[in-house]
Amino acid sequence: MQLRTFLARDMKEALGHVRADMGPNAVIIASEKSKGGGVMVRAALDEPDAPVQPDAPAPVESAPVADFEMHYRDGLMRRLRAAPTDAPARTRFDRTELLSALHRHRAPDSIAHALAEDAAKAQLTDMTLALASAIDKHMTSAPIDLTAATALLLVGPNGAGKSAVAAKLAAHAKLRDRRVTLVAADSAGAGAVARLETFAKHLDAGMAVAEAAPELQTLVADCVSKKTLVVIDTAGFDPRDARARNAFSALGQIAHVETLAVVSALNDAEEAGEIAVALKTLGARRLIVTGVDLARRAGALLSAAMQDLALAHITRSPFVAGGLETPTSLSIARLLLDENRSRQ
Amino acid sequence: MTPRITAIGSGKGGTGKTLIAVSLAQALAHNKERVLLCDADLGLSNASVHLGVKDGGDVAGLIAGKTALRNAVVGVSCGPRHSFDLLAAPPGAGTFANAGEAAALTLIAAVEGARQYDRVLIDLGAGVDAAVMSLAARADDTLLVLTPDPASLTDAYAFTKLMLRRTGARAPQVLVNMALNGTEGRRIADTLLQAAQSFLRIVPDYVGCIPFDARVPDAVRRQSPLLSAYPQTPASLAIETLARKLHSAIDVPQSAIGLR
Repeated sequence: MQLRTFLARDMKEALGHVRADMGPNAVIIASEKSKGGGVMVRAALDEPDAPVQPDAPAPVESAPVADFEMHYRDGLMRRLRAAPTDAPARTRFDRTELLSALHRHRAPDSIAHALAEDAAKAQLTDMTLALASAIDKHMTSAPIDLTAATALLLVGPNGAGKSAVAAKLAAHAKLRDRRVTLVAADSAGAGAVARLETFAKHLDAGMAVAEAAPELQTLVADCVSKKTLVVIDTAGFDPRDARARNAFSALGQIAHVETLAVVSALNDAEEAGEIAVALKTLGARRLIVTGVDLARRAGALLSAAMQDLALAHITRSPFVAGGLETPTSLSIARLLLDENRSRQ
Repeated sequence: MTPRITAIGSGKGGTGKTLIAVSLAQALAHNKERVLLCDADLGLSNASVHLGVKDGGDVAGLIAGKTALRNAVVGVSCGPRHSFDLLAAPPGAGTFANAGEAAALTLIAAVEGARQYDRVLIDLGAGVDAAVMSLAARADDTLLVLTPDPASLTDAYAFTKLMLRRTGARAPQVLVNMALNGTEGRRIADTLLQAAQSFLRIVPDYVGCIPFDARVPDAVRRQSPLLSAYPQTPASLAIETLARKLHSAIDVPQSAIGLR
């Protein structure tokens, strides 16, 4: 790095010196008023870094968030506009190849074998269709009807994305002209209420805090009478822990409240399956899988979706407005067999 | 638990690395950590000079595989609750000048699994050669010492850049030494943070500043550890604050357990 210090009468003059001596790529890294009344400016210039060593992980390319959002939206639009001819060529069903694809996605062995078995029985020559038909036997999808929903209780482990899902549900309900109240049942979590408040403010939704079941019950009854959708965000917990589960079971038993399981696609597949099963015993009938855009292996999604919980939605975008998609067995089969994606 | 490895480097020499390392070892020991101070300035070892001890241990034997770690270290007692172990080369021996990356990796492999310690502090040598940078990249925390000297800024920048190349994403934590006050410390750190952000697209953490303090050179001249000689002087207090910060990363305070 080249480092130079310039003394000048004013900032304009100093910047002129920097540009003249160091060129347009110099960066001002410090400036201060000097004692004599002028300014002191320190500027630096560095050559672009050489390529990293092959064994080191690639350096994180950081950029201002605004740039990232642009990049993200551009990518999204490109994919949406891409002609359907981009679809992978049809492959013939092959049991070994299907098993190896499922293995690449880290699907649990029991699930992989059950799917391969059912796919073989389907007697379809097309690989994708055979897998879709097998998945269909084990999975149902049931999107949430936000026009009719009354109160939705989001439960799941920490970091599953419950608050973000709450915001998405609220945003989509708003698009259907529903009034929405976001409820924080997690007032102890640092920033939990503040985050939900921010979402509520931006989505023009109501906001409330409910510490315990009786309080929540009154709130839900009141909102239901006003046809306001209630979306309840809870504290994260390990649903496999019976004591933790008990602490939340009262919330789900409130009239009009539907418990929704929230599981991240970034889990280990076995863990995701176990969490889904545990949330089912808590009363959840439907499941939302988050972070599907982040996961390069779909094992967790598959494993969570095959536990007798209907798959309501998946989320593929960190942005509140970036949707709640409803996957079908065919779309999941495509995800699992899309070589390009799994090799990314 | 394996020890938390904290390396201290600066690129440029004379930034006060060794004094900071020795004082941090004392302050962390005061926080009830079992500390090993490892002088990885394999060419010119001088932690033992700062401490005023005769024997610095046998880092050469350890690297050569002749001495086990527990026999290669010496206990340093700087008063009650300030004791730690030291692993260094004999001062002025020059045994390991240009010892290279392999020696550095042998050294870190030997201390990494030493469960008898909570913390291994590594005083990196000056410069940014492969031995220094491989240790910096292997450590759990890497403190980068910066001073008001502009040359220290360019060397610290080189250190950051080379460390990023090795770790991919982890930048060192910036510690400013010999600043006039906290405001100047922050300003000096900001120049490096600005340069790193502009050219390397990463913003290192700023962990704090140790103010310029006339008692420091005095303690060094007397070969008496700063925290023992002048426990209440501003530099000592700043090092204790830094030690608490580092300590809290391995010791979660009770009050934070229920916090989410």
